[in-house]
Amino acid sequence: MSRVERGVPAGPTPGTPGAGVAADERADVFLRLSELLTGFGAIDLLGTGLAGRYLRAIDDILPPGVLDELAAAFSRLPSGPDREAAAATTILADQKLGPVARNIILMWYRGTWARLPEEWRSAYGTSPSDTDHVVSAEAYQAGLQWVAAGAHPAGARQQGYGAWAAAPEQTRGSPAAGASPASPRSAAASQGAGR
Amino acid sequence: MNDHAAEAANWDVVIVGAGVCGALLAKQLTNAGLHVLVLEAGPGTAAPFDGYTDHLEKFYTSAGKGIGAPWPPAVGAPQPDTADMRTGGGYFVQKGPDKYASSYSRLVGGSTLHWLGVCLRMLPADFELRSRYGRGHDWPLGYADLEPYYARAEWELGVSADVADQSHHGIEFAAGYDYPMRRVPLSYSDQALAGAVDGMLVPAGPGMVALKVRSYPAARNSIPRDGYRPARAVDLRADGQAVTRYLGERCAGNTSCTPICPIEAKYNAGKSLAQADRRYLKLTAQAVASKVLVDPVSGMVEGIEYQRYTDPASPRHTVHTASARAYVLAAHAVENAKLMLMSGLGGGNSQIGKGLIDHPALYGWGLAPAPVGAYRGPLSTAGIEDLRGGPFRAEHAAFRFDIGNDGWRASTGAPDTTVADAVQRRGQFGTELRDHLQSILPRQVRFSMAVEQLRSPDNRVSIDPDYLDPFGNPRPVVSYRIDDYTLAGMSAAAEVCRQVFRRAGLEDHTDLGEEGNWFPGVSYGGQVFHYHGMGHFAGTHVMGRHAGESVVDDGQRSWEHRNLYLVGAGSFPTMGTSNPTLTMAALTLRTAEQMIAELAR
Repeated sequence: MSRVERGVPAGPTPGTPGAGVAADERADVFLRLSELLTGFGAIDLLGTGLAGRYLRAIDDILPPGVLDELAAAFSRLPSGPDREAAAATTILADQKLGPVARNIILMWYRGTWARLPEEWRSAYGTSPSDTDHVVSAEAYQAGLQWVAAGAHPAGARQQGYGAWAAAPEQTRGSPAAGASPASPRSAAASQGAGR
Repeated sequence: MNDHAAEAANWDVVIVGAGVCGALLAKQLTNAGLHVLVLEAGPGTAAPFDGYTDHLEKFYTSAGKGIGAPWPPAVGAPQPDTADMRTGGGYFVQKGPDKYASSYSRLVGGSTLHWLGVCLRMLPADFELRSRYGRGHDWPLGYADLEPYYARAEWELGVSADVADQSHHGIEFAAGYDYPMRRVPLSYSDQALAGAVDGMLVPAGPGMVALKVRSYPAARNSIPRDGYRPARAVDLRADGQAVTRYLGERCAGNTSCTPICPIEAKYNAGKSLAQADRRYLKLTAQAVASKVLVDPVSGMVEGIEYQRYTDPASPRHTVHTASARAYVLAAHAVENAKLMLMSGLGGGNSQIGKGLIDHPALYGWGLAPAPVGAYRGPLSTAGIEDLRGGPFRAEHAAFRFDIGNDGWRASTGAPDTTVADAVQRRGQFGTELRDHLQSILPRQVRFSMAVEQLRSPDNRVSIDPDYLDPFGNPRPVVSYRIDDYTLAGMSAAAEVCRQVFRRAGLEDHTDLGEEGNWFPGVSYGGQVFHYHGMGHFAGTHVMGRHAGESVVDDGQRSWEHRNLYLVGAGSFPTMGTSNPTLTMAALTLRTAEQMIAELAR
């Protein structure tokens, strides 16, 4: 997929500092890196509306150059079946890049930044923004963990009265729904009456 | 202040505390034409809806999403936080040997702003524990005395349930009665569990008991029965209820009863305050009661001294006094006792503060064999109540199973911790990570087993001049020990939990992993039980038949100071296994009736 097809949201909005081809390409690499790290595709990631916000947060927290190092390592990954194994070795297992990559995953799934490990901080630098914190209320709500759970963020995006009585939807990687002892659909239908 | 209130040279009643009891009293007394001043230690920020929304925003953006996250305290009205269990610090001075693991909040609305909403009546046997089983204490009144007030409380709070589900363990309802709203639908998870465990037999003392997954009565708006109008989101402003909203007329599945319902579909005390007759009510927030002033000769209360502050972040305050014909302490079981003690009032036979109880509760959590739709729905819609009563209570404490709808959130901090475990410990990323989480999260099941506790004089709230808050008021010093009766109940509960897990095919994850065991632990029979508090503080100004053995009579009126009432769960001689709020509300409505009869001019 080309950058143009993904549209504008990944990059900085026109007129903001750093706007331009280089910044757009940087945002694009961040998005593709995030796809590899999270297991979610670009459409889902862009759909959170937070790709640009996360990139800005990371730039604010990390010492200069670290994210570009990570992007460079990402760009060197082979395509094809060995890609994930190579990422595990050259990125996730790397002393400098691994903790950063894991924090990017946590940010997408939970909407939070986790303070980097002390060894990392003493080796590569600290920043006052490197604290355990929620990136924003929107980030909390957009956490991919809620999508993975087949649910919704607690305290937001309400599903409507009685929705909780309905059977969960089939998800990749989960044992078959309906194998549980109750008869899900019929029970849910009678429970949800009056919704 | 309005004209009527301004004209009142003396109030008829001063109420300390704008939680559920203070709010219900304020509503009843003002609707009877009595002039009422309510003093609330904390801010009134949750009463206008835009302020409430600010609290919701605090929840979204707080890193630890514990029960106190949306409700940070004012400097002058500090409060316990469950995070104190980890840090060892906090508002309570914990003298042990065990930790008292519960919290509450001090602001207009009180802890109903973050309660679960479950409204179980106490069992008839809970009022007669001593007579029936030789344990604990009898109440000076029985279930039959309280039954009409339970019914009224269910309509005041707006409880959703079907009488047909709730008649068990001797609980009886008046003929023709039903709850104001239909029962909240059971979650898919409840249905799956019911399919597996309904009818299974488990040991209970010498005999066996059949289990049943049962719908919980809850003060969450559902489909109303004839003529009942569910109370909406509150929007209390200085000039009255400012905005008409339909928001919150029905639960919408935000999966966040605690720590904050985003739409106020669940009862909070602000709703009762909004229903008070405002011509007769003055509500003063940010006013910390600091002394009950008593005439040394007559023993009658002459005033309440209180500390007002304008900036919740500052220790600056000014001291004032309010006088009335009668006084009510409705500040919380701990705060009521603390205020009495700091006023030099020990209560009859120095009973004040003694007998503090809770429901120390165990978590059990595991993975269902198939997705059960975790993280969807009111946090608990059903429970297993079959072990709330029975002859085994001569031997060990009763207990009750809450079935959670929020995965492992309460027990481990999931889903955040499940993600962190996968990423940081298992080293997962990409499609492997996504598949793993999609497999695990929808199958997470969690029980809370709330275990009964009996009053003991050694478990108490006291004060010590060495421990003061920023206003110079004493911090509660808590002595607390979980005795063998409750420990044996924990042991029995844990065994039933294991049997339920086996029967339902749940893979047991209880206490596994780093996050499983940070809760305080107690040892019994060679096992360690990690427990959490249910926020069910009770027993600190107990009611009784005689002045020498109790602080208040069965109307919650002080034996020693006849124009003073101490209301709330502090009055409970026993608590059984019920969440206390409904019983507190019923007792409060009964007290209100007596006060109106006495004070009406």
